[in-house]
Amino acid sequence: MLAFAEWLETTQISVTIKSINWVVPLVQSIHIVTIGIVFVSLLMIALRVLGLTRADQTFDAVMARFSPWISKGLVVLLATGLTLVLGEPIRELMSLSFWLKMSLLALGVTSAMVFSRTVATRAITGSGDPQFSMAMKSAAMMTVLLWLAIIFLGRAIAYDVEVWGSLSLSPRA
Amino acid sequence: MDQLIGFAATLQQSGLSEWMRGSLKALPIIESIHVMAIATVYGTILIVDLRLLGYPDTTRPFTRVFSEILHWTWMAFAIAVVTGVLLFIPNANTYVVNKAFWFKMAALLCAGLNMGVFEFTTFKTVAKWDVNRPVPLAGRVMGALSILIWTSVIFLGRWIGFTKGYDFSVPKDLDFEFIQGCLQCLDALRLG
Repeated sequence: MLAFAEWLETTQISVTIKSINWVVPLVQSIHIVTIGIVFVSLLMIALRVLGLTRADQTFDAVMARFSPWISKGLVVLLATGLTLVLGEPIRELMSLSFWLKMSLLALGVTSAMVFSRTVATRAITGSGDPQFSMAMKSAAMMTVLLWLAIIFLGRAIAYDVEVWGSLSLSPRA
Repeated sequence: MDQLIGFAATLQQSGLSEWMRGSLKALPIIESIHVMAIATVYGTILIVDLRLLGYPDTTRPFTRVFSEILHWTWMAFAIAVVTGVLLFIPNANTYVVNKAFWFKMAALLCAGLNMGVFEFTTFKTVAKWDVNRPVPLAGRVMGALSILIWTSVIFLGRWIGFTKGYDFSVPKDLDFEFIQGCLQCLDALRLG
């Protein structure tokens, strides 16, 4: 992985990103703004599952309001995230937090897709507003915690040695 | 400004500051919590601002959107302030001379003023436009301003990180001592 990261660092695009010193802060800022949008959209859906907000709206209306922001936001996060990896390949790829984040991200995105697919199927069969089981409510809470962990790990990439000590993948370790 | 620099130096010499400067994990963990809190503040305020602008529509009463979400905003904002102060203390000397930091504080002040003006003007007549009516122009302008200001708060916050620097070296203790770190953290809270 270190060899790959080192090679990435020598590519033209990586060199260009590094040579313009405002690119990384700018892209990081867009990344954080988008995280705010995606996380809160997800939080709103989870809180609706828990019955804590928007009880006046049907579940389908809540999904229609927030799920497009999640899917479009994730595309922006992917694009800005890739730019950041290209700009600082060693810092990103040689970091335990980065790979933990990617694993949790895969889990989060898969579970969101499974969830929206099951809800969509129910909407087509037209069985009315869903009643969420205790298991579904616990899953909603777990999802919020999962995305908080993803945000946490994202910030922790910059401090891999400090946070993970000898477990860190960083060449600084 | 001299007084501010003096005050910053006093803060930076405090026991809490010393502990955070000496701890390997305190600052990264506090900073991560700061980001989670800011993301929540930004996302929740955006929902209210967009409703002012008429998105997605005006069928849901503004007062409902506003009252249901704002306690989440305030809770997250409180966490952002506490973690923000904790980030400030151990690096106070470098923050007070950082331009991006003062721009961010000014932007936060603008956000507060914008919200205050809204509460005492447009919001007074909310009964007239609460549902199925466009928000008065002034309210829409303040909604748009709020989006701009809060976005700039995030950008300026990130800019601080790239311009501030540290005036101490981070200790290089490579052992993974998470539980011990938690205990140290509890000790520091008791001292604080």
